[in-house]
Amino acid sequence: MKPALLALACLLLASRPAFAYRIFVSNEKDNTITVLDGETLNIVQTVDVGARPRGIVLSKDGKSLYICTSDADHIEVLDLATLTVNRVLPAYKDPEFMALSNDGNTLYVANENNSQVSVLDIPQGRIVSEIPVGVEPEGMAVSPDGKTVVCTSETTSMVHFIDVATHTVTASVLVGTRPRFAVFTKDGDRVWASSEVAGTVAIIDAHSHKILHTIHFSLPEVPKAAIQAVGINITADGKTAFVDLGPANRVAVIDTDTLAVKKYLLVGQRVWHGAFSPDQSLLFVANGVSNDMSVIDVKALEVTQSVPVGQAPWGIAVAP
Amino acid sequence: MTTRLATASRAAWLTCLAGIIRREGLRWLGQRGRFLSALVRPLLWLVVFAAGFHFVLGVSIIPPYRTYIPYEVYIAPGLIGMVQLFASMQSALSMVYDREMGSMRLLLVSPFPRWFLLTGKLFAGVAVSIVQVYIFLAIAWFWDIRPPAIGYLCVLPALILAGLMLGALGLLLSSLIRQLENFAGVMNFVIFPMFFTSSALYPLWRMQEASLTLWRAAEANPFTHAVELIRFALYVRIAPLSALVVCAYLAIFLAGAIFFYDPGRGLLARRLGPGME
Amino acid sequence: MPRDSASATAALEIEGLAFAFGKRQVLRDIALRVAPGELCVLLGPNGAGKTTLFALATRLYAARQGRIAVFGHDLATEPREALAQLGVVFQQPTLDLDLTLAQNLAYHAALHGVAPRDAAPDIEAALRRAGLADRKRERARALSGGQRRRLELARALLHRPALLLLDEPTVGLDIDSRATLLADVQALCRERGVGVLWATHLIDEAEAAARIIVLHEGRIRADSTPQQIAAPAGSLAAAFAQLTRRAAA
Repeated sequence: MKPALLALACLLLASRPAFAYRIFVSNEKDNTITVLDGETLNIVQTVDVGARPRGIVLSKDGKSLYICTSDADHIEVLDLATLTVNRVLPAYKDPEFMALSNDGNTLYVANENNSQVSVLDIPQGRIVSEIPVGVEPEGMAVSPDGKTVVCTSETTSMVHFIDVATHTVTASVLVGTRPRFAVFTKDGDRVWASSEVAGTVAIIDAHSHKILHTIHFSLPEVPKAAIQAVGINITADGKTAFVDLGPANRVAVIDTDTLAVKKYLLVGQRVWHGAFSPDQSLLFVANGVSNDMSVIDVKALEVTQSVPVGQAPWGIAVAP
Repeated sequence: MTTRLATASRAAWLTCLAGIIRREGLRWLGQRGRFLSALVRPLLWLVVFAAGFHFVLGVSIIPPYRTYIPYEVYIAPGLIGMVQLFASMQSALSMVYDREMGSMRLLLVSPFPRWFLLTGKLFAGVAVSIVQVYIFLAIAWFWDIRPPAIGYLCVLPALILAGLMLGALGLLLSSLIRQLENFAGVMNFVIFPMFFTSSALYPLWRMQEASLTLWRAAEANPFTHAVELIRFALYVRIAPLSALVVCAYLAIFLAGAIFFYDPGRGLLARRLGPGME
Repeated sequence: MPRDSASATAALEIEGLAFAFGKRQVLRDIALRVAPGELCVLLGPNGAGKTTLFALATRLYAARQGRIAVFGHDLATEPREALAQLGVVFQQPTLDLDLTLAQNLAYHAALHGVAPRDAAPDIEAALRRAGLADRKRERARALSGGQRRRLELARALLHRPALLLLDEPTVGLDIDSRATLLADVQALCRERGVGVLWATHLIDEAEAAARIIVLHEGRIRADSTPQQIAAPAGSLAAAFAQLTRRAAA
């Protein structure tokens, strides 16, 4: 009986893939990246990185993770096979967030402290250009056609449209106070930009640069000031958007057709950024104050679980 | 003229049990007031009470929950327990009422043994309370209290066990207490203390922070364990300690009730006696 | 059917029965017999101990002293056999007023282990006998006091008991209803051979009985035919007054 059981156990272990996918969470307070198994949600490893890791982006080949280590004033490259930092890319002071070009060779980095966007050539490992934008740039996004980059500047409360070919700002759109994050819709026609202090999401026409709509949030049981919009994740089918509402401890679910809030999902404290699982069935969000990550069932629109990660989780990325 | 000896056949026992359950169900349906108040009471708590505590509880994850929950989700199992608590006390009360005493006599002159009749009465009360619980759960679904689908099935054995335990307590009280004429008495001395010193409204860790005495009382409170049993089962988990405690209390209460209803003890006689003369 | 020979077996036999609530002695040295087919009235003023005697005879609580047997089955040792042959109409109304007539009767049948399907013809017959056949789907609440009692009598007979105990069954009934009930019970004794013990404090009800047992202050004061009890005093009322006064003195 016993050997048979053992054999069965071995078989089960062997037949299970090593990792279906992994989840990476940057923890800005303890200077680590938490690596979790996407299936079991167990912590696989905690990797020490440079000071204050915040924005993280997966490389196009899925083999490395770019990490804005803000207080170390550079960008670290984490090799996902060995889970070690094997390269350091230069940055100006305090890089907070970045976006990767569609060919995977260029990083557009928001330098919070010097009001500019750095254009970083990854193969060469050097900054090839700097584009002046508003004060305290943070949110970065690249359009699907790769021709436009948007950047939000927190203090100026603007969304800047940058022409990739000329590296110049072609338009600036005034949005709600302290815009934190921006994302293009899949068709490239619109930009969704969240404002932290205003607690709103502006939907901007990417061609005319006009605000088409502003989404407001209200929760009777949450003080207005606590409703702060930060991370946005739009499903691949473009039908549903999730907006992380910071200290409101809720993720708002938005029907992209009607732009109405369908539901508020209770998650951990100060929910900041999120990422989908590869099959889009789950959304993982990082909760900065409760030091954990909540798991949202995208179809059921329910929070199924919250698991502890590091200190002050900030960014989140999923690698297949 | 022949007399059938009913207790000889096994089917007759089931018939008797079914008859007792059927009557309890019909009575419940027949009494509109009782029917409605049983439904409205927990919903009122859900809507009014939970609204005030909305932001308070979303700060900690406690088993069986795997993530942050709004307060109404937390108190739902407590309110299920409340439905069963009220149902059991109500049937205990109806046994104490004079008019009901008559039908208790009718029950007790049945040729079936008394332990069977009392247990049957207990099961009948539990069956009715479970119907009430499921109606409550159906309505609560619209308040976003949506445990996993399988949880609705898993909670059934927990409801039976908790219902039996609370029902046995009611039965015991009905046999013991003489001056339990009105509902207010039971409310003050049984329902409220049991409900408030339990984990129905606040998690135990919160009580521990507030008062160690209160926490100890809650730990010993059978209602706490009934609620936790239901809470875990509803989320497809088992609470072994609570299950054990509920079983133990059930055994104690039931043994007590059968003991005190035993015709040989004369306790029932002492209770009924002077009043009947 | 009783195991002993029919002539020797009483429908109800009580011997040496005594009972106390705490220190208060309610019944002492009770011995009585009700034969099959006999209407026996237990006559006593309020507080005589009639209800306690009935509670003991229906095994609501157990007698610690004395023996009660129904068709030879001792209530203490063979309660199931004894209770199966026993029909009871309690002093208090025991109908479920919120249930229909048919539901009330079906509940009783179930308590005696008879499934609703098997009980249906008996229920129909019982309702017909009670003159309530057309009202079986109405709630018991809709019935008058007399009708409720008739239904309770019909219910007590549903499982065809051979002994019927009636505890002050006419309380609260008008004269017509009382007469009807009495006639019904007399017919039962005659036609179905049911032994009846009828407790009352009303002398006119006792006159119709085959035998009267006078109970006062927990003791049996007389046990004979109405004529024999009435003879010394001239009338039953006078005799009853004498029997109960003498004891009080």
